[in-house]
Amino acid sequence: MTTLTLSMRDRLKRYAAREGFGLFALIFLIIFIVLPILTVLLWGFAIRWRFPAVIPTEWGFDFWQETLSRADLRRAFPNSIVLSISVTLLSMVICLPASYAFARMNFRGKQFFLLSFLFTNAFPRLGLYVAIAIIFFRLGLVGTFAGVVIVQLLNTLLLMIWIPTAAFQGVERSLEEAALDVGASRLRVFMQITLPLVFPAVFAAVLLTFVNTFYETYGALLIGAPNVLTIPVIMFPLINNQPIPQYGAILSLVLFAPSVVLLLFANRLLRGGYLTAGFGV
Amino acid sequence: MVARSTRSLLPYILITPPIILVFGLIFFPAAQSFVRTLTGVDGSFSFERYLEFMNDRSSVTSLIFTFQVTFLSLIGLFAICYPLALYLRFSNSRVAYWAQMVALLPLFVPGIMSAYALIRFFRGRGLLETIIYQLSPVLSETYYSPYVKPEGIIIGSIWESIPFTVLVLLAGLRQVESGLIESAQDVGASRWTIFFQIILPLTRRAALIAFCLNFIAIFGSYTIPYLLGPAAPQTLGVLMQRTYQEYAQPLQAETQAVITFAVCALVGLLYVRTVSSQRTGRN
Amino acid sequence: MSTLSLKQLRKQFGDVTAVHEINLEVGDGEFLCILGPSGCGKSTALRMIAGFEEPTSGDILIDGQSVVTMAANHRPTAMVFQKYTLWPHMKVYDNIAFGLKLRGLARTEIDRKVNEALELVGLPDYGKRMPNQLSGGEQQRIALARALVLEPKILLLDEPFSNLDALLRVRLREELRRIQRRVKITAIFVTHDQEEALSLADRIAVMSKGRVEQLDVPSRIYDQPATLFVADFIGVMNLIPAQQNGATIDLGALRLESPTRVNGTVTVAIRPEDIAIVGESDVDAWGGEVEQIIDLGHYRKLLVKVPSVGTLKVYAPKALDLRENQLIGLNPSRFTIFRDGAAPIEVKREAVAPLEMSVAV
Repeated sequence: MTTLTLSMRDRLKRYAAREGFGLFALIFLIIFIVLPILTVLLWGFAIRWRFPAVIPTEWGFDFWQETLSRADLRRAFPNSIVLSISVTLLSMVICLPASYAFARMNFRGKQFFLLSFLFTNAFPRLGLYVAIAIIFFRLGLVGTFAGVVIVQLLNTLLLMIWIPTAAFQGVERSLEEAALDVGASRLRVFMQITLPLVFPAVFAAVLLTFVNTFYETYGALLIGAPNVLTIPVIMFPLINNQPIPQYGAILSLVLFAPSVVLLLFANRLLRGGYLTAGFGV
Repeated sequence: MVARSTRSLLPYILITPPIILVFGLIFFPAAQSFVRTLTGVDGSFSFERYLEFMNDRSSVTSLIFTFQVTFLSLIGLFAICYPLALYLRFSNSRVAYWAQMVALLPLFVPGIMSAYALIRFFRGRGLLETIIYQLSPVLSETYYSPYVKPEGIIIGSIWESIPFTVLVLLAGLRQVESGLIESAQDVGASRWTIFFQIILPLTRRAALIAFCLNFIAIFGSYTIPYLLGPAAPQTLGVLMQRTYQEYAQPLQAETQAVITFAVCALVGLLYVRTVSSQRTGRN
Repeated sequence: MSTLSLKQLRKQFGDVTAVHEINLEVGDGEFLCILGPSGCGKSTALRMIAGFEEPTSGDILIDGQSVVTMAANHRPTAMVFQKYTLWPHMKVYDNIAFGLKLRGLARTEIDRKVNEALELVGLPDYGKRMPNQLSGGEQQRIALARALVLEPKILLLDEPFSNLDALLRVRLREELRRIQRRVKITAIFVTHDQEEALSLADRIAVMSKGRVEQLDVPSRIYDQPATLFVADFIGVMNLIPAQQNGATIDLGALRLESPTRVNGTVTVAIRPEDIAIVGESDVDAWGGEVEQIIDLGHYRKLLVKVPSVGTLKVYAPKALDLRENQLIGLNPSRFTIFRDGAAPIEVKREAVAPLEMSVAV
C-alpha cells in the first residue's frame, strides 16, 4: 500500500515536472503569438479603442465600408485574386508532370535536377528580385502582370515539385501494377489509382501555393509596383505612419481569409508531414 | 527503336519547364549580376563597385547590423524552439497538443499582417502595455517598447520563424527512434547524457536545415525590418529596396544584392549539401 | 484451362543477367512453384510472364500463342503480389470489381462474380469493408479473389504469403491449394520457402543465379537433387568434400564404393535421415562424438564431430538416450556423389541394423 502511494506521488511529481514546462510554454506562446493576432481582430471591429482600455470601448463595422471602398483596394483585390489563381494553375501545369517524372522515371542527372530546386530557397528573395528586375527591365516585364506571375511562379517551384514527388514516390508501384494486371490502361491506372492516392498531398501543395502567392510581397513590390498592385503591397503605407489603425487591421483580415481555409486542413497537412517534406527534412 | 528514344527523352521534356525557370531566373540572373558587379565603367574587370560599397559608411553599417540582427534572432529562435520541439516530441498530453497548434499559427499568417499585429501589440500604449498597466500601473511605466528598434526586428523575425523551425526540429526529433533512447536509458544513461550523446547528434541535420533556411530568410528579409525596425541603421534588405526604388539606383542595389548572395550562398551551399548528403545516403 | 511455355527466356539489366535462357513447360491446371534464394531471378521471370518486365530475348507462349508483345494490361494473366496490393482508397467490393468494370460487364453480372469470388476465398460479407480494416491474411485472400474473379488463363503468385506469420502461412497455403484445385487454374507460384514449395507444387523449378537448376516433382527434387546447389538448398544435407580414386572414396574410417571410376575431387552428399546411429565400436561406421543435441519436438537433431570427415547432422529418435560428448557410430545408408561437369551418382549401401532403441549405449 505504501509503495503504491509513493509511486503514485512519484508519477504525479514527474507529470508536473514535465507538464509544468508545457504549461509555461503554452502560456508564453499564447501571449507571444495569439495576443498579437487577437489585437488585429479587435482593431478590425473597433471604432474607439484608447489606452488604457483592454478591449475597444466602441464596436462596429463602420471602417469596413470605408476600407473596402478605397480605390487602391478595389484595384488591388482583383489583382491579388487573379494573380494567385494564375500562378497556382501555371505552377500545377509546370510542376506536376515534372514531379511525376522525378518520382517514377529514371534518367541521367535526376538527383542533380531535383536538388537544383533547393536553390530557390538558397538566395534571399529581395536580392534575387533585384537581380531579376534588371533582366526584366530590358525585357519590358517590369510593372507588368506577366512579370509578377513569372517571379511569383519561382516561389512555388520547390513546394510544388517536392511535395508531389514525395507523394508519387509513396505510391507503391505494385498498386499500379496490380491495376495494369487486371487490364486497366496506363491512363486509367493513373486516373483511378495513382491520382486518388496522391490527392491529399497534391491538394496540400496546391493550397499552400495559392495562399503563399496570395501573401507574396517582395516580387509584387519590386516587379509589379506601381502598375500591378496587390493587397500586401498597398498595405505598407497603411501600416506605416497611418493614423487610423483600422485600415491595416481590416486589410489584414481580408488577406487572412484564404488562410482560414488552410487552417481547416492544417491538421491533415501536418499529419502527412508534407510541409517538411517540401524542405528536404 | 523510335518508341524507345522518345521514352528516354520524356522525363527531360517533363522537367524542362521548371528547370528553365530555376536556371533562367535564379542561376542566370545571380551569375549575371555577379559578373556585372565585377565590371568597371570602362567594361574591364574591376572592384570599383565593391570599393564604392565599402567606402559608404551607411552600407557597411547596414551589413554589420544585418549580421547582428540575424544572429541574435537565430539564437533567440533556437532558445525557444529547441526546448519546445523536445517537449512536443516526448509528450502526448493535451497541453502539448495545444502548444503545438499555437506554435504553428504564424505559418498561416501573412507576413505583412504579422508585422501589423506585432506593431499593434508591442508599440507604446499597445495591447501589451495596456495589459501590464491593468495589472500594475507602476510597472507599466518601465515598459520598453521594441517597436522601431533593433529588438523589433528580432522579435518579428523570431515570431515569423517559430512554426517552420519547430516543424523541422520536430521532424528531426521524430526520426530519432524511441528504441534508441530507451536502450540508452537501459544501459543507465542520464537524461543529460541521452540528450547530448544521442538526441543532439542525431538531430544535427534538422537543426542545420533550420539554421540555414532561417538565416537566409532573416538575412534577406524586408517586411519585418522595414515595418518594425529603426530608421537607422537599416538592414540590407531595406537598404536594397530603398536604393532600388526610392533612390532609383539599380546598380548600387545590385551590388548590395550580390553581397547578400555571397553571404547566403555559403549558408545555402551548406543547406543543399546537408539535404543532398542525406538523400543520396538514403538511396 | 491453359498451358504456359517459356522459350529461351532471358533478361538482362545492364551488365547483370537476371535470367539466363529459361525453358519451361507448364501443363494445363498444373501448380508450378519456382523456388530459389532471393536474387535468383525467380521474381523477374514471373514479372516477365505478367508483362511488367520486357524480356531481353526469348518468347512466352500461353496456349501456344506468343504474348511477349502484349502489354501487361492485355495479358490473360492475373497476379497476387507479395505486399498486399489492395487499393487503399477502394472498398473490398470495388477492388474486386475494378477489373470486371473495365471489361464492361453488366452490374448484376459483376455483383454475382464478386460475391462468388468472396465466397471462394471464405470471406463473404466483406465487400463493404475498406482494406485497412482487414488483417494481413484477409487482405491477401481478397487479393487472390481479385485475381481469380477475372478468370485468367494463368494465375501468378509472387511470394504472396511471405509477409504473414508462420501459422497463417500454413493455413493460407492449404486454402490456396484447395481453391486452385477447385477452379482448375494453371498457377505459377514464386517462393523462397522450400517447405511452401514442397507442400504446394505439382512440380518445382529450382532456380539459382538466373538458371533453372532442376525441374521435377517435389519428391524427386528432395530425393534426387540434380545439382549440388539443389542438394544444398533443399532440406538438410551433409556435404563432404572428398577425393575419389578409381571406384573408391576414402572418407575417414569408411571406404565408399562408386559405380564409376574417376580420379578427382568430389562432394559426397548425405541426408541426415540416411545416416543410421550404431554402436561406437561398430566396424562399418564412422566413430564420432556428439557435439550438440537440438530438440526439435518429435525428434532430435545431433551435430556429431567425425575425425577427418567433419561435423555431420544426424537425426535421432527421442527414445534413444544420448548425451553430449558421448561417442557413437554413424553408418550412411545412401549418398550421392557430385562431381563438376558430371551427372550426380546415387549410391545405396547395404542396410545396417541401426542401434536398438532399447539398448542403452
